[in-house]
Amino acid sequence: MKKISLLLPCLLVGLWQLACSLRPGAYDLVASPAGVLAGLADLCLTGMPPGRLLPGHILYSLSRIFFGFSLAAACGVPLGILSGGNPKARALVMPLIDFFRPIPPLAWIPMAIIWFGIGFRSAVFIIFLGAFFPIALNTCIGVATVDRGYLDVARTFNAGRLDIWRKVLIPGAVPSIFTGLRLGLGIGWMTLVAAEFTGVRQGYGLGYMIMTARDLQRIDEVMAGMAVIGLIGLAIEWGMTKLAGHILGGRRVGQWIRI
Amino acid sequence: MDTHLKITGLKKRFGVEGQGCPVTVLDSLDFSCAKGSFITIVGANGCGKSTLLRIIAGLEEPSEGTIRLAGKPLDRRTARLGMVFQEHALYPWRTAVENIEIGLELKGMPRATRREAAMEYIRAFGLEGFESAYPSELSGGMKQRVAIARALVADPELVLMDEPFCSLDSQTRNTMQQFLLDVWSRRGDTVLFVTHSVDEAVFLGDEILVLSRPPARIADIVPVDLPRPRDRTSLKANAIRKQILNMLENRVSAATYLGPAMMEALGTQEISRESE
Amino acid sequence: MRFLSRLISMFLVAWCFFTLAAAQAQSAAPVRLAYLQNDIHHLALWVALDKGFFRDEGVDVTVAGVFRAGSEVAGALGASQLDMAYLGEAPATIAAVRGTAHIRVVAQVNTEGSALVARSEAAITAIEDLRGKTVAVPALSSVQDVLLRKALASRGIPAASVNVIVLGAPEMIPAMRAGQIDAFVAWEPYPSRAVTSGAGRIVSASADIWPLHPCCVLAADKAFLAARPAEAAAVVRAHVKATAFIREHPIEAAAVAAKYTGISQSEAAEAIAHVRYDAVINVEGEREYLRLLIQLDFIQIKDPDAFLDDFLGVAAKAPEAR
Repeated sequence: MKKISLLLPCLLVGLWQLACSLRPGAYDLVASPAGVLAGLADLCLTGMPPGRLLPGHILYSLSRIFFGFSLAAACGVPLGILSGGNPKARALVMPLIDFFRPIPPLAWIPMAIIWFGIGFRSAVFIIFLGAFFPIALNTCIGVATVDRGYLDVARTFNAGRLDIWRKVLIPGAVPSIFTGLRLGLGIGWMTLVAAEFTGVRQGYGLGYMIMTARDLQRIDEVMAGMAVIGLIGLAIEWGMTKLAGHILGGRRVGQWIRI
Repeated sequence: MDTHLKITGLKKRFGVEGQGCPVTVLDSLDFSCAKGSFITIVGANGCGKSTLLRIIAGLEEPSEGTIRLAGKPLDRRTARLGMVFQEHALYPWRTAVENIEIGLELKGMPRATRREAAMEYIRAFGLEGFESAYPSELSGGMKQRVAIARALVADPELVLMDEPFCSLDSQTRNTMQQFLLDVWSRRGDTVLFVTHSVDEAVFLGDEILVLSRPPARIADIVPVDLPRPRDRTSLKANAIRKQILNMLENRVSAATYLGPAMMEALGTQEISRESE
Repeated sequence: MRFLSRLISMFLVAWCFFTLAAAQAQSAAPVRLAYLQNDIHHLALWVALDKGFFRDEGVDVTVAGVFRAGSEVAGALGASQLDMAYLGEAPATIAAVRGTAHIRVVAQVNTEGSALVARSEAAITAIEDLRGKTVAVPALSSVQDVLLRKALASRGIPAASVNVIVLGAPEMIPAMRAGQIDAFVAWEPYPSRAVTSGAGRIVSASADIWPLHPCCVLAADKAFLAARPAEAAAVVRAHVKATAFIREHPIEAAAVAAKYTGISQSEAAEAIAHVRYDAVINVEGEREYLRLLIQLDFIQIKDPDAFLDDFLGVAAKAPEAR
């Protein structure tokens, strides 16, 4: 993490604190940075709803995204590989995917509630919808746009169909697959929080926490919650990047990765 | 002469009859060469040199004609070929040694054996210390050495090279040419080497195949009778170069002026300044 | 390059168009109202719209939003997106205390009209049986939430022993059917619908928990009141008229309710029967709300009386009834 990356956030926070100090708003529509920190403390100590502390919310939200994302990856990557490498499969599957993709996951919430209620499966379903499409599409594109030259090399060695899949198409598509996974995870995280707004049976979840803070007009806690969500999203992104670097041979593999 | 490679009546048309203007790129090529010979192929840009190589390699299907290798028709499924591409086409996700051994890997050779074979080439080609490097960490010349090793490791019956040095700077290019000749002289492979550089063709080849503009025919087969190691600047080398350049320029001038489509539309009439 | 400049000019034209359209909408400036989705407590508004009472009183209104919870309405009032709105007294109070909305109550809307509904299979016949169960409320600190906690407190049941979760009102009946919640507290018509569809039983009407408790209020943005007092008064008059209409013509009122909630007229009539429509501001009720909210630690307030005077303000006296 370069030091310069911290410059802009610090500057913004400083200006924000200044603005709040100069105009102690009659309208408390925005909390100052100090207020947000206080709200964060309240979230950890008192909890929102009262009695439910922040770590619990984080744990539940993370577990939902873990399962939803894993499901999306388990379905999306194989489907993407198959449709990327096989034009018939692509023609079979892609129109359907292109039809469902523009429907926002949140539009599925009424159906999700009817089918799965307000429990864990409902949230996992919504996240799955958010994460699946970027994963499947990027995988498909990755396989389909593998450099023709790589295929030529394999063909001059008389490689069989299976070998071409295993040794050229799939490894060649790995950067795109990772891009798809990163996008899917990011979108899944955003979808999760919004999905938790409609209610969760366990009474835990970051989106749920923010919604109840809003009910009590605790703007400081709402903003603290948003900050937590953003930070966790950042951490997830950072983790993915590190993981990608590790698995794919790090910066040594160079431009090919495009991370 | 023991004919190793024999090409008869090779034609290649792009486009389907009845859909637009089918373009004949290669028109009735007849050619043969002996085992262990180094054949360079030159011609104007777009005259189908690469297409010819790709057909032999089995990456494209000819429209007509036959190819025989070592007395049998060339069966792409069983033939052992090694090809080096213009853009080296090394797999960026594999290290140098892993790239080299891929031919053996695809044939099912066990890991230890193929790794040892690949390492031999690493050592022979002066790449020691870089076997675990990824292509992005290698210089242009090193990458081409890896590409050449990859083509040679499975003991091919025929080596095809499609302008492998054209993206290198001239210094590296000269070094690589010498390197290639060293390797070839020790192994005795049959090599078909496509290039647009007449200099390179004269320096490297035993015979130079000159292709005319499309529909390409063999305009001439120029034997290069120079002793090896070759002197680029010798008078004889110059004479051969001049001969070929004349051929190309005469045949090419109209083509570059009018363009291949127009040439095609005008049929096979020779429009050139060449005096008969 | 030319293509780019053409694209940019097209974009600018579109932008001007939309800005002008918005400005146009602004200058016409009807009074912006809002209500809660499917909340039959807000029937007075629907009746006034349907029967043209606003027009009769000479004021131009528009429904600027339909919301899922009172806290959302309060937020919109605070963001100056609404001029006057129907919402629960509890969320209105909290917003006013915390300063996220500068509003004042100009009329009462109803008292009572909510109920605690339990799943038919769950063995819940009394409030005491809620121990260890999952109960849904439409929002934290909503009237229903406050009622539930008051009921629990009055029987000495610690709130922590009940799993209270927040759920949108439309989601409550399906969730109960699926067994994911054991009970809920919601405004009519949801309790009646739960009963008629066989999904649940009414354990306790809100009237039993706190008789005559004030529920929803008509609140107005203070800036709006100061700038356009005549229109605000006209809206209040129409509201009072509509409230009286509901009492005098319940069947017609049920027809209007059916239109705005999508339930059948008979279901609407049943729901209406459980609600008291009353435009007179219940000052004592609000004082009790303040006490409860402070007790529940939802708000802190230094001078409750000063707040009440301001919050219930000019209309602390009964508004003109017809």
